Amino acid sequence: MPNASSATRPSGPSPARVLRIGGLLALAAVVLLFPSLAPDPFILSVGVVILSYAVLATSWNLVGGFTGYISLGHAAYSGLGGYATALLILRSGLNPWLALLVGALIVALIAIPVGIASLRVRGASFVIVSIALVLILQLTFQSWHTFTGGSGGLRVPRPFGPDVLRPEQHERFFYLHAVLLTLALLTWWLIERSRLGAGLKAIREDEDKAQALGVPTFAYKLTALVTSAFFTALGGGLYALWFGYLDPIFQFSILVGTYMVLMSLLGGVRSLFGPLLGAVVVGYAVEVFKSQYGDTQFHLVATGILLGLVVLFMPDGVIPAVTSFLNRRRRAASIREVSAEELARQRADKQREEATR
Amino acid sequence: MTTGSVTTEGLTKSFGGVRAVDGASVAFHDGEINALIGPNGSGKTTFFNCVTGMIRPDAGTVAYAGRDVTGLAPHRIARAGIGRSFQLCRVFPRLTVLENVLVAVQPHGLLQRLRGMRNPDDVARARELLARVGIDHLEHAEARDISYGQQKLLELAGVLMGDPHTIMLDEPAGGVNPALVDRIADLVRELNAEGRTFIIVEHNMELVMGLSDHVVVFDRGRPIAQGTPAVVQDDPQVLEAYLGV
Repeated sequence: MPNASSATRPSGPSPARVLRIGGLLALAAVVLLFPSLAPDPFILSVGVVILSYAVLATSWNLVGGFTGYISLGHAAYSGLGGYATALLILRSGLNPWLALLVGALIVALIAIPVGIASLRVRGASFVIVSIALVLILQLTFQSWHTFTGGSGGLRVPRPFGPDVLRPEQHERFFYLHAVLLTLALLTWWLIERSRLGAGLKAIREDEDKAQALGVPTFAYKLTALVTSAFFTALGGGLYALWFGYLDPIFQFSILVGTYMVLMSLLGGVRSLFGPLLGAVVVGYAVEVFKSQYGDTQFHLVATGILLGLVVLFMPDGVIPAVTSFLNRRRRAASIREVSAEELARQRADKQREEATR
Repeated sequence: MTTGSVTTEGLTKSFGGVRAVDGASVAFHDGEINALIGPNGSGKTTFFNCVTGMIRPDAGTVAYAGRDVTGLAPHRIARAGIGRSFQLCRVFPRLTVLENVLVAVQPHGLLQRLRGMRNPDDVARARELLARVGIDHLEHAEARDISYGQQKLLELAGVLMGDPHTIMLDEPAGGVNPALVDRIADLVRELNAEGRTFIIVEHNMELVMGLSDHVVVFDRGRPIAQGTPAVVQDDPQVLEAYLGV
């Protein structure tokens, strides 16, 4: 094959790379400038909510996107993270930030036996086990009044003093969420390019085959789940510190877990920024629907329709759909086209060979 | 060299009331190209799956290089030195051709596993293997976009990336064109000459008889004959199993 090297990518800063770095810087700038651009504290608080969703969805994607194990019950880890943080402050008098970290570590430990039990089953069974966990936790936290505050809820002490006013609270928590989101994205990125990531993606594609090639599938799945639970718990804990109040009904709700899945699917589970994009779209839509239609269930109908549309027209999510659309537009050598060219060339070569024979 | 690289004793596996593998005791020859043949439903693939850990046998033992590997997880068996391909060919459809091969690099230790999968040494070796099977020009294509024959070659390259001493192939010639069958046969011979042992399930008799040093014939879940291709071909029991006479 004389032209075999034509398929290898050019080294050095390619236009795509420049575009990617430019996009990253633009994204960082938007996030950093948002608090000063936000017209009022309400918009800023919506920004915090959206970043919180982005943290949760990106954390969910550490297990969902890599392994293809769809957990609908990730609210278990965010809820436990929130309660662990609050209870460590209230009952042990721990510093709030230390409580956040210790709480997330505890949740990661809890995720180990949960993973050992639930990662043995695939597909629908895994989904159901993940839902069951949330429901069990909801009931437990509702009934255990003496420890969790029960269905009356639990007030979480503010980490900042009373002299820090609401708008400034929002601004600080906005940046704290941005930092946590960056850490979660960085972790996803590091795993994605590692041997561990290769093994995890192989599990998503064909678990038996991965195992036959020497991938220790169970250990890898558990690693992904525990890492995901840790970041999800940090997300839940940070949200609790900001919001200041926990109620089992909302903390351990199937809906929260479903949002994480919807956001990731919408943006694209194979893309680093897929869940973030999904969180911005869904988070914004939910807030708009809530403010327009108040306490109705209209936002649920809307998100349901959105999910249906995505699954129908962009099953891989927005980012892959847009990327492949742009690739086609640019007429640049997309992977499919290269292989098609190769095939055409091979065919031509063969015909020439046969003609000369 | 007849120490037996893979040896089974009384291996048994039932599905429901059907004994797919029924007390099979087989000793494959180390360093040779072994073939495992038999009519459809004679338990060859189940036997394969028991040996490679995909299925836990109900009874019996599997030994590899003198070590009992019965019931070990598939990745441990892979690490012990047995690589395998799948019937009907299985690749990772949404990973690129290069990534498909790189998946097989899974060393011990957390730090080793957190290393980049695209480190130069691994990539160089993966490219070498892709070139060897003749699909290195497709390395950036997703595996679902290449042809079935190319996927078969890709699967073989992935197995080789784990550097297994023993390679078990489940119907390597199934569904591919005659030219590719020849190419696969040549590859098997080359790899065998380098010291790798093969155990091949195959229905293409011409290929089996031309390629293998040792043939094991299965019927109803157990071996009914074994020996050189010439010996097996004339065995009355084999003729009966195949032709039902």
